[in-house]
Amino acid sequence: MTGYAIVLASRKLSRVQAVSTIASVAAASDVPVEVFATMEGLLPFERETVESGEFEVGPVGARMLEAEDMDVPLFTEQFAQAKEIGPLRLYACEMAMDLMGQDLDDYVDVFDDSLGVSGFLNRAQDKQVVFV
Amino acid sequence: MSETEHEPDVTVDSRGATCPGPLMDLIGKVKESDPGTVIELQTSDNGSKSDVPEWLDEAGHDLLEVVDHDDYWSMYVEIN
Repeated sequence: MTGYAIVLASRKLSRVQAVSTIASVAAASDVPVEVFATMEGLLPFERETVESGEFEVGPVGARMLEAEDMDVPLFTEQFAQAKEIGPLRLYACEMAMDLMGQDLDDYVDVFDDSLGVSGFLNRAQDKQVVFV
Repeated sequence: MSETEHEPDVTVDSRGATCPGPLMDLIGKVKESDPGTVIELQTSDNGSKSDVPEWLDEAGHDLLEVVDHDDYWSMYVEIN
């Protein structure tokens, strides 16, 4: 096993943020990570959502957004920073994009490409799959 | 200010950043530094105290000392 293939299918900020945190540290430590954002997991990456900050939040996510005494970088920044220093790739699910009538330009600039199920499975072959 | 015998070659100021900020800053600095370099990581994130040593263990670098200042910690790391 060499690395992680993470399926992100939730729009909840705390889940997305946990994925970006774990994926970032792994990639920075030279552990390869592929993130496949599918279904509702694509929604937090919409430019409009990121700009407005209107995420679906639970108590921890809400505290994260409100905290003025702590500097918590949003998942978009974490992904962008980690991609510069380690083997981290993000893919947007083609089917979910089609369903929503969107393309990659509708999302913040962290995706390497769009991908279908076979493409994801190929990339996940030698990795531990984590479903979030 | 606590006393320490370690003289860092580089200081990384991650005070105010939460997990994984200080660790990511440290990893970035470790990657661009030569063996023998001593890095002082300044962090106010409580989790760094356990998480940084875990990372160093796996990556094979040494934690020389942790100095407790009142509102932050200095973690001295030597690169192998």
